[in-house]
Amino acid sequence: MNAPIIDPLQGDFPEVIEEYLERGVMKCIAFNRRGNLLAAGCSDGSCVIWDFETRGIAKELKDKDCVAAITSVCWSKYGHRILVSAADKTLTLWDVVKGERIARIALQQAPLQARLHPGSSTPSLCLACPLSSAPMIVDLLTETITVLPVSLSDTGNDAAPPVRNKFSDGSAPYTPTAACFNKYGDLIYVGNSKGEILIINSISIEILGIVSVPGSAVIKNIVFNRSGRYLLTNSNDRTIRIYENLLPLKGGLAALGKANHESAEQDDDEKLKSAGSRSLALFQEFQDSITRVHWKAPCFSGDGEWVVGGSASKGEHKIYIWDRAGHLVKILEGPKEALIDLAWHPIKPVVVSVSLTGLVYIWAKDYTENWSAFAPDFKELEENEEYVEREDEFDLVPETEKVKDLGINEDEDIDILNTDGDSDFSDSDMSQGEIRFLPPDPCPDVPEMEDGLVVNTSKEGEISETESPLSEEAGQNGHLTNHESSPLEEDTGGMRLKRKRMPSEKFMDFETESIKKPPPKSKP
Amino acid sequence: MSTTQPPAAIRPYRLRKTLSSHALAVSCVKFSNDGSLFASASLDQTLIVYSTQTLAQISHLIGHSDGVSDLSWSSDSTYICSASDDRTLRIWLVRTGECVKVLRGHTDRVFCVNFNTQSNLLVSGGFDDTVRVWDVKTGKAVHVIRAHTMPVTSANFNRDGNLIVSGSHDGSCKVWDADTGAWVKTLIDVTVPGVSFAKFSPNGKFILVATLDDNLKLWNHAAGKSMRSYTGHTNRVYCITPTFSVSSDSEKLIVSGSEDKCVYLWNLQGKMLQKLEGHTDTVISVACHPTVNMIISAGLEKDKTVRVWVQQ
Repeated sequence: MNAPIIDPLQGDFPEVIEEYLERGVMKCIAFNRRGNLLAAGCSDGSCVIWDFETRGIAKELKDKDCVAAITSVCWSKYGHRILVSAADKTLTLWDVVKGERIARIALQQAPLQARLHPGSSTPSLCLACPLSSAPMIVDLLTETITVLPVSLSDTGNDAAPPVRNKFSDGSAPYTPTAACFNKYGDLIYVGNSKGEILIINSISIEILGIVSVPGSAVIKNIVFNRSGRYLLTNSNDRTIRIYENLLPLKGGLAALGKANHESAEQDDDEKLKSAGSRSLALFQEFQDSITRVHWKAPCFSGDGEWVVGGSASKGEHKIYIWDRAGHLVKILEGPKEALIDLAWHPIKPVVVSVSLTGLVYIWAKDYTENWSAFAPDFKELEENEEYVEREDEFDLVPETEKVKDLGINEDEDIDILNTDGDSDFSDSDMSQGEIRFLPPDPCPDVPEMEDGLVVNTSKEGEISETESPLSEEAGQNGHLTNHESSPLEEDTGGMRLKRKRMPSEKFMDFETESIKKPPPKSKP
Repeated sequence: MSTTQPPAAIRPYRLRKTLSSHALAVSCVKFSNDGSLFASASLDQTLIVYSTQTLAQISHLIGHSDGVSDLSWSSDSTYICSASDDRTLRIWLVRTGECVKVLRGHTDRVFCVNFNTQSNLLVSGGFDDTVRVWDVKTGKAVHVIRAHTMPVTSANFNRDGNLIVSGSHDGSCKVWDADTGAWVKTLIDVTVPGVSFAKFSPNGKFILVATLDDNLKLWNHAAGKSMRSYTGHTNRVYCITPTFSVSSDSEKLIVSGSEDKCVYLWNLQGKMLQKLEGHTDTVISVACHPTVNMIISAGLEKDKTVRVWVQQ
């Protein structure tokens, strides 16, 4: 993946809108760890969990107490809990499997973003970032709020940590700040309005390091990638910056503390700055110097190879994809509605974006036929290879048997039970209690309505038809589909010829490439 | 890594009980995921759910208008899905025995059905040569894959739910991507003999394929190579469903029925360990309890029984 010239045809990133999800007006989205569930917060205060595989609704979290628009949604690490922040200044913690509310707390200001502590499987600690004051750590069960410092002057050089008490507000008004946990939750990275990143111990609230972001512009978003190796900041100077996390992932706090101790600087400020420079190193900057667009909801891809950012300009739905080295590889354009949130699937090259109208668009790779699947010994080649025949290839009785060495030890004991472990997830050993899926309950049939019930919307579950080219009915290669002309088939509804799930007609214009659509062929 | 195996070292199985509850041939038996229940499907258009503990009948699922060929349990053992010659699939709520949903779409008899691990999707194959993936919640067909040129005999998800393997009388065994319905790989593509069964191993690395030439093979599907062969039984006509026995307290086995009325047990290396006799007709389907060493088997028309085998 480190090729100097990025070929957009080879890259593992989405290209076209595959489908859209509709249910009320959705405002913000979050994938669970495995990417098979997508939680979406709506404007009516409910949180909908979509089953990403069937594109249907798996669960709805709703109660009558909260009817204000949801501003952010966050999963706990293994999918047991969801934290929801709403415009009525509340934070609500839900139990996913039971669908019940665990806790709710009201804050002084409406939180724009709330993140659950990533270190435990049933967290009750969270980080809340209101619009116009300092971020705070909220313990949802004991209802204590601890305000975080947003600059050095807040705490003084070595003053005692701020007093923990209920409903304390803290710092100066109108200082928008962004904050996030590192991968295991022992450190919090706060981006303040002076363009500084503060690294704070999440338990003692002590500032351990400072990094000055060049440009000193207000930091609007700060987010880690899934592995915790890279940090992204989005600043008011229309630039997205990528920092490499130099601290070890698991012992970050200890390493930083040690660095502070051993630091040669005498002045405390200098100490913090040098600790900061030892924890983060600026890696790359992204901006669009032509259109000078502000960015919205930037984040990393699941493997950290790509960075995606939405254009914050109203009236356009543009998603920019860069590789980590800084090259812009793709701009995805959607329908002319502003983009309000963006998320990249943890594993697949799929991006999900929320538009101002409340629809959630799913962007995926365009489907290409895999010709090497046709026969067992077909192999795909990257480029033409000269074929050199063996000496005895054309002999009637070959002397040497063609030996295909596939490097498999035939005598090795067969193991049918153990897997190699999930390579995509580094701490899958800890995930024993992980909620991997929500088992569905089939909706009971409406009795005795066998005719005319064809509701073929693009909302849930469209059909796709894949042709097996060896089929005798088809007669030719590739992309033919046949009509199903049986009276028992409600689902195909006549003339649907889609190769995979596709959105309704109005989105045909907005795809960046035209999908190959096979000509209709009537069954003889 | 030795190739010389010690002689058969499992404690032999013996017949514990014979259950004759069906009026016609039994086509399929399966244990629920937790092993507390098992169900049988029959050409008499009904399914019966039994308790493993007492071996007593718990419910009788009636509703199909033609014989039932296959059944599958959902992961939490709440639902059973059955595939029938009346061209439909039915989802039953086990607790009450009522049919919750009817899935229509196949244009000919439905022959095989399976849930995925998440139990939000079903895959079915039928005599209309298609493999269909259904959304359990809405009952709509998510993919209709024109998979083969002859009836599909078997369709199964892997454990992660991202692949489907299908086998057919046309002799081919193919692997499909479950998300897009796209063709991923062909494992076998000779025209004879027909493939009567194909299923992933629990870890998804291997595919167990039965062909109508008395052969049962374990393929490494990434390499496309057959690793082990299990023979000794007879399988020329019927789609006999073999299975893995992975109960924790003993050796892993491959168990299959046979047209010579016996149940065969092999160890993974291919050595036949035991032959269970007792059925009076072809043993069409076998199932192994997930944790305890118990095997159930089903016999065809002249037999009509479900037999329960345990170790001494």
